[in-house]
Amino acid sequence: MALPNQQTVDYPSFKLVIVGDGGTGKTTFVKRHVTGEFEKKYEPTIGVEVHPLDFFTNCGKIRFYCWDTAGQEKFGGLRDGYYIHGQCAIIMFDVTARLTYKNVPTWHRDLCRVCENIPIVLCGNKVDVKNRQVKAKQVTFHRKKNLQYYEISAKSNYNFEKPFLYLARKLAGDANIHFVESPALAPPEVQIDLAVQQQHEAELAAAASQPLPDDDDDAFE
Amino acid sequence: MASADSERRDTEESPAGEDEDTGAQVAPIVKLEEVVVTTGEENEDAVLDLKAKLYRFDKDGNQWKERGAGTVKFLKHKETGKVRLVMRQSKTLKICANHLVLPSMTVQEHAGNDKSCVWHATDFADGELKDELFCIRFPSIENCKSFMETFQEIAESQQKKEENKDASAAAGLLEKLSVEEKKGEDKAGETPSKTKEEDEAEKSDAEKKNDE
Repeated sequence: MALPNQQTVDYPSFKLVIVGDGGTGKTTFVKRHVTGEFEKKYEPTIGVEVHPLDFFTNCGKIRFYCWDTAGQEKFGGLRDGYYIHGQCAIIMFDVTARLTYKNVPTWHRDLCRVCENIPIVLCGNKVDVKNRQVKAKQVTFHRKKNLQYYEISAKSNYNFEKPFLYLARKLAGDANIHFVESPALAPPEVQIDLAVQQQHEAELAAAASQPLPDDDDDAFE
Repeated sequence: MASADSERRDTEESPAGEDEDTGAQVAPIVKLEEVVVTTGEENEDAVLDLKAKLYRFDKDGNQWKERGAGTVKFLKHKETGKVRLVMRQSKTLKICANHLVLPSMTVQEHAGNDKSCVWHATDFADGELKDELFCIRFPSIENCKSFMETFQEIAESQQKKEENKDASAAAGLLEKLSVEEKKGEDKAGETPSKTKEEDEAEKSDAEKKNDE
């Protein structure tokens, strides 16, 4: 399922299509998993961006090729082309923007036209925000269409692993799949040049005075 | 999980049975077999184990970026005595930092946050060596202090280890010397500040005495 310019791997990999309105947090969610960072700035995705994302399970390593698609119609491009051969999907909405939930049926319909009978997770993102417009009780679409639903927060990492875990379990037909500690390989010895070390120390001193992005939050998960 | 619930800001009641599977029955497309899982930490003992949030410095953007939140550990190898820092993201258990603690390393406070500190390392988290400036933030000042102290102690102990290794023969000799020196001191009651030459002279004196 890899793009031609992407390396193939010798362990199971799946094409995961991520759809939903613009600004619901699809790219931020993927980026959070890929690098750990939380991107506050909104830059609409143009077309699609594919990110390989590995997880370690009790059944070995697996990979999701995350097809992070443009939510904004004007940047949508070849929509059906992105969906083709999709093996699983996430539909994202923003619990602080009612319209994004209203549009979920459209995303679902478009997706299902191309991808039949694939496991789909509906994600209500930004549940860390105090003033929600879509309450948990008001989310009912997943029951009508037999989707799995998770409330998530890319900001606080609340439930952030659940969509992948659910999809892995469905794709393998094994409800016992769980994430395990990935092997921490022994880091090789490195020789440090004195001049280079001094440069690092200068950089470190400068960095030490730069503020942290989220000093006030107290989530350590 | 209780910890997951507490980090959640939303005070709304959660839908009944949030982990209930409402998904359609779909046919599995792969068959996965259970495998033997190794953490890579089997031959090490954890020296410290704390909850924290890790950041890496993005030089291009001149800003700190989150790298992961979870558990940071110092792991001491049972045979070699080498110590490395390993941090794993909670829930996914992926590695966000993995580097040796070397004698050349220093950890210092972050200027604007007394629960965090910074250091430089050549990190191996992604399976390739990368120069990184790291910052780590703890829930309390105390945890940050104990992390910094442990880090510094380990770095210094690795220094000693390296010296010992490099000059093990010489160290053995010196040790012998100081034992004999003490014997001499007891007799003569001299001050302990001596140069090597003086020591040597004294040693030969002591030998003479023994000979006598």
